[in-house]
Amino acid sequence: MVKLAAKCILAGDPAVGKTALAQIFRSDGAHFQKNYTLTTGVDLVVKTVPVPDTGDSVELFIFDSAGKELFSEMLDKLWESPNALCLVYDVSSEQSFNNCSKWLEKARAQVPGSSLPGVLVGNKTDLAGRRVVESAQAQAWALEQGLECLETSVKEMENYEAPFRCVAKQFHQLYQEKVEVFHTLV
Amino acid sequence: MRKVDLCLSSEGAEVILATSSDEKHPPENIIDGNPETFWTTTGMFPQEFIVCFHRLVRIERLVIRSYFVRTLKIEKSTAKEPVDFEQWIERDLVHTEGQLQNEEIMARDDHATYLRFIITSAFDHIAAVYSISAEGVAVSDLS
Ligand SMILES: Nc1nc2c(ncn2[C@@H]2O[C@H](COP(=O)(O)OP(=O)(O)O)[C@@H](O)[C@H]2O)c(=O)[nH]1
Ligand SMILES: [Mg+2]
Repeated sequence: MVKLAAKCILAGDPAVGKTALAQIFRSDGAHFQKNYTLTTGVDLVVKTVPVPDTGDSVELFIFDSAGKELFSEMLDKLWESPNALCLVYDVSSEQSFNNCSKWLEKARAQVPGSSLPGVLVGNKTDLAGRRVVESAQAQAWALEQGLECLETSVKEMENYEAPFRCVAKQFHQLYQEKVEVFHTLV
Repeated sequence: MRKVDLCLSSEGAEVILATSSDEKHPPENIIDGNPETFWTTTGMFPQEFIVCFHRLVRIERLVIRSYFVRTLKIEKSTAKEPVDFEQWIERDLVHTEGQLQNEEIMARDDHATYLRFIITSAFDHIAAVYSISAEGVAVSDLS
């Protein structure tokens, strides 16, 4: 049995629902806040996620940049040495989806030489009538980029745990791969 | 006085603390004398472990076998309890793809009862330490 610890960063355009996703995960779906003021600085959500069929778990340290300091020095600090990425877009915003490649590039630049487990999350599926990004389109891009892909509606509390379970599982797998490498070296 | 590898459980050394542990790759693997077993870090850095010699020793040479370790800090203490650690050595290791890091450190007859190893950064998400050997002599027992 092992308990791993992973720093998971939340990336994506402003207002796609990153903070909402982290907060609903923290509170186990207890509340969805419609309106809240963005606090400045960093919010950290720490939660342990079991890895199915293993007895192992991953303690996720989810770093949310609460505020508008995008691409600032502060974000650089916040994004230092991530172990996993949760890349969020809004299914009703074409631009938020298009900007994902930019966010992904920036996140991957934080871990030169090693891979970064990640999941692409299309949020706000409850806005069905305003949807402009189709699942298939997102899936194709995610596959190309080596990301897992899924959709959520934080508002309807749908699938909100899946992104975190997904990165936890990927990080656990990465750990096992590294251990295999360590065995082969001797 | 006999020169030995002091950093072995068979010589009385013990790992008294480690920030992470996988049951399958516990920190005891570092001092078990088996070159093939290792301790793994399990996530975010820094990660550390403390070796207790259970006696005062004088160290002449340290060898650390590891993989993916980038920055290593070593602190030492000569107290009876694991307190009062002082900064001793800091090294930036190089990554050797497919081959263990074999870092040799010459000490100047430094005394210690405890050594604290802190990995502050790594070349990948996970690092491993296979063994630490500390060549030197036992000076006195702790009364
Ligand atoms: N309709 C809808 N709105 C959402 C959903 N998730 C978040 N929001 C709203 O989108 C806005 C921005 O959310 P926020 O979490 O602050 O986005 P962030 O800037 O990415 O952190 C807020 O008004 C949320 O209430 C969702 O699943 N559906
Ligand atoms: Mg936010």
